[in-house]
Parts: sequence; structure tokens; C-alpha cells
Amino acid sequence: MRFSPMASSPYLIVSYAQTNRILPEPYQRVIVAILAVALVCIPLFSGDYFVHLLNLCLIAVIGAVGLNLLTGYCGQLSLGHASFMAIGAFATAILAQRYGLHFIVVIPASCCAGAAVGLAVGLPALRFRGIYLAITTLATHYAIIYVLTNYEAILGPSASAGITIPPLSLADHALTTERGWFYALLVVDAAVVMLGLNLARSHVGRAWVAIRDRDIAAEACGIDVPRYKLLAFTISATLAALAGSLGAYFTTVVTVEEYTLELAIIYLAMIIVGGMGSVTGSVLGAVSITLLPYGVERIFAALPWSLGTVTFGVQEATIGAAIIGFLLFEPDGLIEIYRRTATYFERWPFRYREIKASGAR
Amino acid sequence: MELLVSILALGSTYALLAAGIVIIYKASHVVNFAHGELAIVGAYVFHSAGFLSSATLSGTSVLVAGIIAAGGSALFGVAIYFALMRRLLGRPTFVAAMVTIGLAIILKAAIVVVWKSRSVGIPLGRHALRNFAGGGRVTWIELVSIVTCIAVFAALAAFFKYTRLGRQFRGAAENPLLAAQRQVNINLILALAWALAVFSAALAGVLFGSRSMLSPQSTVIGLSGLTAALVGGLDSLRGAAAGGLLVAAATYLTARLISPTLSEAVPFLILLGVMWWRPWGLFGTVEELDRV
Amino acid sequence: MSNPGGVAEAPLLDVRQLEVVYHDVATAVQGISMQVAAGSIVAMIGTNGAGKTTTLRAVSGFLPAEDVAITDGIISFAGRSLRGLLPDQISRLGIVLVPERNKLFDTLTVRENLDFNMTRARQRIREAVFEYFPQLAERQKQVAGYLSGGEKQMLAIGMALICEPRLLLVDELSLGLAPIVTEEIMTILRAINRSLGLAMLIVEQNAAAALRIASFGYVLENGRVVFKGEAEKLLAHQDIREFYLGDGNAGSYRNIRQYTRKRRWWG
Repeated sequence: MRFSPMASSPYLIVSYAQTNRILPEPYQRVIVAILAVALVCIPLFSGDYFVHLLNLCLIAVIGAVGLNLLTGYCGQLSLGHASFMAIGAFATAILAQRYGLHFIVVIPASCCAGAAVGLAVGLPALRFRGIYLAITTLATHYAIIYVLTNYEAILGPSASAGITIPPLSLADHALTTERGWFYALLVVDAAVVMLGLNLARSHVGRAWVAIRDRDIAAEACGIDVPRYKLLAFTISATLAALAGSLGAYFTTVVTVEEYTLELAIIYLAMIIVGGMGSVTGSVLGAVSITLLPYGVERIFAALPWSLGTVTFGVQEATIGAAIIGFLLFEPDGLIEIYRRTATYFERWPFRYREIKASGAR
Repeated sequence: MELLVSILALGSTYALLAAGIVIIYKASHVVNFAHGELAIVGAYVFHSAGFLSSATLSGTSVLVAGIIAAGGSALFGVAIYFALMRRLLGRPTFVAAMVTIGLAIILKAAIVVVWKSRSVGIPLGRHALRNFAGGGRVTWIELVSIVTCIAVFAALAAFFKYTRLGRQFRGAAENPLLAAQRQVNINLILALAWALAVFSAALAGVLFGSRSMLSPQSTVIGLSGLTAALVGGLDSLRGAAAGGLLVAAATYLTARLISPTLSEAVPFLILLGVMWWRPWGLFGTVEELDRV
Repeated sequence: MSNPGGVAEAPLLDVRQLEVVYHDVATAVQGISMQVAAGSIVAMIGTNGAGKTTTLRAVSGFLPAEDVAITDGIISFAGRSLRGLLPDQISRLGIVLVPERNKLFDTLTVRENLDFNMTRARQRIREAVFEYFPQLAERQKQVAGYLSGGEKQMLAIGMALICEPRLLLVDELSLGLAPIVTEEIMTILRAINRSLGLAMLIVEQNAAAALRIASFGYVLENGRVVFKGEAEKLLAHQDIREFYLGDGNAGSYRNIRQYTRKRRWWG
């Protein structure tokens, strides 16, 4: 019976619990298992530089998942992600450096700060949709950054050098090695991804998707649209603050200059490239976009002509090109490529695919 | 008097930028986030074209540079349309807006790559038209900015109101499918819109570069232009003029009277205010469904 | 092949075996064949989802914009194939569609709507439109979005006429209109057809109104043509009277248990 393709059809669903499974198919479980083993083993065999890059990716994943929940699932186009990360970073900086608190207190507190700001930004954003929402979040981004810039000038010993934070430490062990960070971030990422997946397949995720697709109809169905929108903003800002906070501990210096509008757009690029409305897509996108500049650098290093000072420009240009390219040709992101291949094999030898309804996955 | 002229000159730059954003929005309901970058790239092109043959700007080199910048910007606008925007017809407009964000990134990177982030200025008409007692002065270029802006706006207003093509613009903006069925070539309209918009952006950039130094950071004037367009109403040309003037006045006066650093915050403070009290701007059509 | 309108010449619009598929999964139109003779009014009637609007959209070139594909069939207009042409090209050939929704430019005034594609030569058409629809002449400066339903429909038809059509496609004009207004507009359409000799293809759910002005009719169900014939024949046909004109001979509604009975499309 197991030989017949129809007996193992992914469309033979016999229980409600089965519809909500994260990895319904055996081959998916195999892939995840292999990935898990690979992730655990990689740092043991690679150099510090590579692990450092992976750490950057892991931090980006947290932010990308946050943004995808807000923009991909709930449909609220937000350009203010960098400002939420800045809030997290600055909260961490103040609490860790000025008050010398332990990270167990600092990180959750930073997340709370992010949540509060997210809620505050979400309130005026309730009025708008689409491009006007984006513009409102743009304005709030500038407002927040402005406040933080002036705060930095007052607080920091030398305003432009930023605030230095003592490294994250538990009892007497300070987390300073790349490997150590990698495993710590891996745990955090796993938790964040699980949170994202669980939100997505719960009533919250369904409400978000309903709001994204047609919020008037969602309201008519009884979904409390303002509440879910605010929830989306809050959760997204919390995750962004977490990413900012961890980033602050990771680099041990916090400057307001790194939280630019470009950073927000880079995160937007991550979810566009990875796939809006998909948590796994966020992971793919975060890794791709984080590694893209380094890839570009490597490619140009191999070519005869050297770039020198314009490397940065070319890296930026490739990110812009990635945004445009994916939006034009593959608007559902990398995850869609995966899905197409997977459904092709799942469905073979049958031809027809389902109607394109980008649901919560 | 000199204060007034300075505000008017700055306002004319912002108004021209806003006009470009309004033209694109009127034709296709797309908000162009790359407008500031287009303006600055246009200014850099003008500068390079002007200084190609000689070390100083002469009458002919200005003319040549002007033609190159004008023609190049219009062509570039058409190219942007056919390469990028055309494929996005029928998709929700915020997708096109995100593509313009991507374009903005590429253009800004292009400034870094091609011109090596050099700060340049366009020394055009900097000499004084009139000197005042207190040491202030009005320069030729400020006058030229104001006059050019008025001329451009007058031409555009007449175009939209009285010509058949202008009517088709407005119709195509509202209902492209119906316009296509009524024998209007949508591609022509939209390409024309982009050509006009990029041309006016380049014009604004050149006028801006004549009064201040250009650098990759100058692209931030795009934010002021967008604010001006929003204040006036995204689909209203006279709103663009009014908005440009308002934002310029607010920025300038804040810089002079309160503090220069706060004046950087002025555009987005105005943005927040406009979004709060009157999202469709002063003169825009009150659309219900798209935004609220 | 029957002769629609009784005119013995090649039809103006010839649709053969049209098949339209939505999003790769749903076949909306399966093998529809129909003709419109020059100068005649042809009605397409049927319920919702029968494929009438889809056929109109296929003819006027609107389909590719929505991930809908014409997978089979020939559409030819005066001998020219229409498949693959863009909407504005088809419109220039002389096929003008008055759509069901979004039929005007709401932000432009009545005059500007009519002047949308105005040339010197077409100004006399505008005068003719004002003659057919005097309400429009009175409201020239009014913004089109604020017109009443009937006036909007009149304006939409006027705009279509200014494009100098050789074939006018009208999609569900009676939707949302009071019967008396529908009647008025239908009468004007017939007058236009008689005086200009303009061929029309009218898609209607209001079968009675459509068949009264049409010379030939097609009945569509589930994407297929199930019956066709001269308008008088349709009006007299028992099944059409019962299912589309509400004229059942069953008497009281209690006797109608047989809405599931097969229709006698033959005879």
C-alpha cells in the first residue's frame, strides 16, 4: 500500500490536527533533520569568519520573521522596522551600560520597550492602508531616529562613537566567542521560528491573512481588525527589538547611524526575496540578503578588475536589483520556488495545481 | 525680502519634485520613492556633461549639458517605464512603490560607483542680482529657479486641463482598463508621465545643485519632495506647488529661527501632521477606499 | 449554420468554439459559437456564471489582464482574427465594449468623459449623443461620479458611441437600473441601431428586455450555447418562457416541483 502514490497523497487529510501540522510530509521531516544536524555541526568545522557571518544571518532571521508577520501575513506595509531595532538596541545600551543590569533583565526589558513603541506606532497606523501606511511608518521611523540621535548626543561619552556595552555574561562566563554566540542564537532562532509558525497556523495568523486579503470583509466576518493589527505591530516590534538587542550585545557598540531607512529596506528585501507570508521564507530571505554583500565581494575579488571604494555601492546596488528582480519575476519569493518543485513532485503524475491563494504557511 | 526669495527658491525645488511625484501618481497611482535619487543623478549628469570639455562652465557648455540632461532624463524616464513599471500593471500599486524603492537604492549606489561619492556643485548664476544692506543678497539662480518653476507649473496645468492628452492622462489614471478600451494607448500615457516626471526631477536637481553642494546624501530632498506632494495632495498639481512652498517655508524658518538640526525633522513632522489631520492633502481628491 | 438576422452575408463577428479557462482550473466557456450579422442586434441571455460576460471580455481583449486564458477557438471580426490583440487595438478596429462595472471615469465631468477621445470629425457624434440622451446635455459640467445610475449608463453608451464603433458590446446594462429606465435605454439603443445601422451584441440577465429589441438571440448555460434562434422564436419558446421570462404554466408555485426537469432545447 505504501508503494502507490495515492496512498501517501498529501491531500488525504483525515483529522483537523493533520491540517495544522508544520511538517506533514515525511520528506520534509527528513530535510529538517538533516538541516538541524548540519547547523549543529557547521561551527565545529569552519573558521571564525564564516561563523561570524552565520551569526549575522541568525540575528537577521529574528528581525525578518518579525517583519514578515507584520507585512507578509497581516499585510501592513511597514518601513519602520529599523527604528524598532534601534529602540531595542538603545534600551539595551542604557540598561546594560548605565544601570549595569544583567542580560536576563535587559533583553526582556528591551523587548518590552519595543512592544510599547510598536503599540504606539500601530495606533495611528490603524487608520491607513497600503502606501499611506508605509508613509506613516516612514514618518515614525524618522521621528524615533531623531529622538535617539539627540539622546545619543546627550548620553554617549563621544556622541559619534556610540555607546559601548559590556559583553553578555552569565555568572562569570562572558559570551565572546563566535561559536558560543552561534549556539545561543540558534536556540533563540529556533524559539522565534516556532513562535512565528505557531502564530501563523493559529487563529491569529488566520485573522492576519484575512485582514491582509480584504480587511473590510474580515471586519464583516467578526474579526476585531484593530486588535489584530495592533497585535501584529506589537509582536513585530518586539521581535525587532530582540534582534536589535542581541545585535547590540553581539557588536558591543551601539550607534544610531546603523539604523537607517536603508536597513528597514534591507529587511523588506529579505522578506520579498524569501517570500512574504511565510516564516520559512523569512529565514531564507534573511540568510540570502545578509550573505549577498559578502558574496558580491567574493565574486569581484575573483575578477580581474578591483572595486576598491565602490564595493559598497555595488553591494547596495545588488540588493536593489534583488528587490526589483524578485518583485518583477518571482513576487512570492524563494519559498515559492521551493513550493513549486515540492508540489510538482508531490502531485506527479497529475498536472493541475491549486488555484493561487497565498495562504498562511 | 531676501528671506522671501530664499524660501521661494527652495520652495520651487520642492515644488518641482512634488510635481514629478504627482504626475506619476496621477497617471498610475504609484508613489515614486526614487524621486530624490532621480533628481540628484540628473544633477550629477548635468555637472559631468558641463565639465566634459572645459574646466569652467561657459555658455555653450551649459547649453550642451542642459540638452544632455533634459533629453537623457526624459529617455531615462521612458526606460524606467518600459523596463520596470510596465510589467507591474495590474498588480497592486504598492508593489510598484516597492520597486521604486529598489530603484532608489540602485540609483544611490550608482552615484557612489560612478561619481565616487564626490561632492560637487554647479556654479551657475551664483553671482548676486541684488545686494542688500544687511549683507544678504539675491542671486540670479534663485530668480531663475522661481521663474522656471512657475513656467513648468503653468505648462503642466494647461496640459492637464485643456488638452486631449491631458484628459486621457487623468482618465487613464483612474481606470486604465476603460481607457484602453476607449482607444487610448496606455503605454504611451504612462511613458510620457515618467518622462515628464524624471525631466522635472532632473530640473529640480540641477537647480538645487546650483545653490548647494551635491553628494549622495543630498537624495534626502526626495523626502521633502514627497512630503510636499502629500501635503498638497498626491494627485493635485496646485497642491504640489502649495506643498512645496509650505515645506520650504517651514524648513527654512525653523532653521533660521529655532535650530538647524530641528529643521531636518521638519519634513517628517509635517508628514505626521498631514497624515493625522488630512491624509489626502490640501487639494487632493478625497479618496476613501485606498488609504483609510 | 443558421443565418442570424436573416441576412445572407458573412457575419461581422464570428466566434467559433471559444474556450476560456480561469486560473488554469475553471473552464468558464466551453465551445461557444455565435455570430453577429452587420446591422443587427444579437442578445445573449443566461443566468449568472453562464459565461456571457466572459465571452464579451474575450472578444474585447480584456482577458489576459486577469490570468484568464483563451485556450481554444477562433474569434474573427470582419475576417480579421482578434486573438492576441490588445484592448486598444481591438477598440480601434471598431469593437467597443460598454463594461458592466467601472464604465466611466468618475472623476472627470460628463463633457470630459465624452471628449476623452474627441477629434474634429467626432464632434458631430457628440451632438448626436446629446440628442439621444438629453439628460447628458443638461449635465455637461457635472462630475460623472455623481450621476444617477441611469445617467451613468447613458454616459457610458455615449462614450462608446464616440469611439465610432462598428460593433457595440453592452454588458448587463440593466443591472441596478429601475425597469422603466432600462426600458428607456433599450428603446434608445434600438433607435441607434436603426438609424446608424450599428451592430450590437447585448448581454443581459433581463431576458425580456433584451429579446424585445434583439433580432437574434443565444441562450447560454454553464458555458455552452444551449439554444439560439430569432428573437420571436425565443420569446415564444416554452422553456425560455418558463425559466427566463417567468411565465410558467404551472399556475401556483406549489405545482412547481419540476424545476429539475430537463429542458427541451430541441423543438
